[in-house]
Amino acid sequence: MTTTTLTPTETQTEPTTNGGGTVARPPHRYGGGSSGPFSNRALIQRYKLGVWIGVGGIIMFFAALTSAMVVRSGLSNDWKPFDVPWILFLSTAVLLVSSFTLEGARRRMIAGDWTGVRLWVNGTAALGSVFLACQLLGWQALSERGFFLASNPANSFYYLLTAGHGLHLLGGMLALGYVWMRVRAPQRWATREAVIEAAALYWHFMDVLWIYILGLLAFWR
Amino acid sequence: MTEVELSPEVSEYTEVHRHPEPKTFISKWIFSVDHKVIGIQYLLLAVVAAFVGMGLSLLVRLRLVWPEKSFAILGDLFPVGAPDGVMTPEFYLAMLTMHGTIMVFMVLTTAPQGGFGNYFLPIQIGAADMAFPTLNMLSFWTTFVSFSFLMAAFFVEGGAPMAGWTGYPPLSAVPEAAVQGIGQDLWIVSIAFFCIASLLAALNFIVTTLDMRAKGLTMMRLPLTVWTWFVTAILGLLAFGVLLAAGVLLLMDRNLGTSFFVPGGLVVSDKAIDHSGGSPILWQHLFWFFGHPEVYIAILPGMGVTSHLLATFARKQVYGYKAMVYAVAAIGILGFVVWGHHMFVSGMSPYSAFVFSVLTMCIGVPSAIKTFNWIGTLWGGRIRFTSPMLYSIGFVSLFVSGGLSGIFLGQPTIDLYFHDTYFVVAHFHLIMGVAAIFGMFAGVAFWFPKMFGRWMDESLGKIHFWCTFVGVYAIFGPMHYLGMLPHPRRYAEFTGVDYLQTGGAGDLHYFITVAAMFTITVQFLFLFNFVKSIFAGKPCTEANPWEATTLEWTIPSPPPHDNFGGKVPHVYRGSYDFSLPGAKRDFAMQCNKDEAVYGGAAAGD
Repeated sequence: MTTTTLTPTETQTEPTTNGGGTVARPPHRYGGGSSGPFSNRALIQRYKLGVWIGVGGIIMFFAALTSAMVVRSGLSNDWKPFDVPWILFLSTAVLLVSSFTLEGARRRMIAGDWTGVRLWVNGTAALGSVFLACQLLGWQALSERGFFLASNPANSFYYLLTAGHGLHLLGGMLALGYVWMRVRAPQRWATREAVIEAAALYWHFMDVLWIYILGLLAFWR
Repeated sequence: MTEVELSPEVSEYTEVHRHPEPKTFISKWIFSVDHKVIGIQYLLLAVVAAFVGMGLSLLVRLRLVWPEKSFAILGDLFPVGAPDGVMTPEFYLAMLTMHGTIMVFMVLTTAPQGGFGNYFLPIQIGAADMAFPTLNMLSFWTTFVSFSFLMAAFFVEGGAPMAGWTGYPPLSAVPEAAVQGIGQDLWIVSIAFFCIASLLAALNFIVTTLDMRAKGLTMMRLPLTVWTWFVTAILGLLAFGVLLAAGVLLLMDRNLGTSFFVPGGLVVSDKAIDHSGGSPILWQHLFWFFGHPEVYIAILPGMGVTSHLLATFARKQVYGYKAMVYAVAAIGILGFVVWGHHMFVSGMSPYSAFVFSVLTMCIGVPSAIKTFNWIGTLWGGRIRFTSPMLYSIGFVSLFVSGGLSGIFLGQPTIDLYFHDTYFVVAHFHLIMGVAAIFGMFAGVAFWFPKMFGRWMDESLGKIHFWCTFVGVYAIFGPMHYLGMLPHPRRYAEFTGVDYLQTGGAGDLHYFITVAAMFTITVQFLFLFNFVKSIFAGKPCTEANPWEATTLEWTIPSPPPHDNFGGKVPHVYRGSYDFSLPGAKRDFAMQCNKDEAVYGGAAAGD
């Protein structure tokens, strides 16, 4: 088989991620369309799609735990309902605020103010740490009441669900750490917008997940 | 960077950004982010695992027919499990457990999806790589860690776990039970890592399929291989999270004193167990909610490869392409609502059993559609009996044989009798084990020239096919009969029990063991052919030696870094345009414009 050299009928140049702002391109539809796979807009879409799919997997994980909890609570009479520690409401408030600060970082990114991004990311990570600290205090409050992991199944699920959410949030903190590191040289970072958008989406989902878990712990007794 | 020559079949293409090639050995072959290298890594892991798993099945068969015999090498390797080389019943169960776990997770889940899917999904959709290459690398290495943990379970105190690949509590949840030690913990940790790896991989596959397709490659033009990898990824995404949750609960029951799965009042080895209120059935629900989709995770890619190859080698369009896509989707959806049929004997309300039974029967419909369409694809075709084609036809045969017994087992009344017998062993080995393995054989034989730029030995391939095909039927065919006797499964020994010797059962077990030894020996022929051909096979210089239609056949063999070298071919037609009326050739590649197919400027010459 001989090979001939063809001329490309359509050429896409590398988007101007080296120093420029976001590239204005027509909206990208799945499969086809003329915007290229490496434009910032396409990257943002791809990363956000990735987070949405990941959210699906995480939902299944917590759905399985929920169904185990519901079934277990009806299995025998060793289920001892308890009031959730009040500090969880403080941690909820902290987490909600942290979503707004991360949204602040996203706004600064759109404005091209990378110092501002770093500042807001710092704030978000700090609030995330406060949230996790509150969760630990919640554990302490519970254990002071004599409720330990293996005391009864209601307690087991409390520790399990809060730890599960905490670990996922820790993953979000790692993402923030990555953003914070890379933002020092944003012009050499092709996926900067995409990563920040994705991290923000994930972080907001952590809020929703937490409120769900709090509701479950408070009302499924 | 060397220029990549696309085949002249490509009518038009788009130029995109190219990625630099990795420089060092480590970044190129070990911690590679190239989907092709990762695909081969997955395949190699699966090959190693398959041979380990096969060795374990041999031990299982040997123990069944010669329970008293001493194997000196076992005595050296496992002084506790096989003192003086004689396998204990506990050792038998451990080997059974590890065989199942290794085969289901490390072979049937990794090779079809992680191996072939990784290698060919991006190329078949015209992409340079997966959507998230680094994540892809992490998936593989997490799988590798998982495999290492599983292997370590052989060598820790107490030996490998023996609760079955399903890990049923209380045996799996109570460390005091039997001789089990840390092996069961390693098993759970291994499965947990595997879940995480599979979730990351599933995410990657889904985004890649949705977001990275070449211009013109609509969803309904995708090769059926891509469709099955895509649906498999969705199943993995929704199923592995549940198994992960179950695994965490089980690990807590074992080590942290919780009682999710351990009932109260349990006495193990004359010792009361300090747990209360849990339910082993809860584990079964969680496990099988994962476990049933897992069956389709193993078999769907094999279905995709079979559809793909039957069309290619029968030189016909896939009969009922859309029906095939909808059938795959239907199997995927129904796969999530039938888990209860694994638990008919566990104790279940007859009403639930009825619902699960009816839903299970429903899966027969899309399965029958697929089988019908495979035969329709073959019907009247000009069949080329190459070795990949033989494996694909073998897949159809095994799928039908294994599937029919599934209709029996889906009835609660019949399942009550069959469930703990060899009938079930025969059923799931034929449909999930061997059929899926034949899909892999087909994939290897078909894509080998593309992956390595060399041919596998065709005669050896055909000999291997026939020997394996006859061999697996010789192993699993008689098991149906054993199951009807009924011979219970998971028993370490049948000799010395009179009622189990009736009906020629003893001789049949002997026959099955001999057949297994024969079939296992033949697999070394395949391994020899595979390894030899990588280094010394006949070179394949053509881009499209099989005269196939999909995009992987437009690039050089083996594919260069970045696959298309920064050029994404445009797609103009579906995946299986064989024998188009009025066309100049009996196939039209997806990147051929109509002018190239029917006349005007000749393509390819």
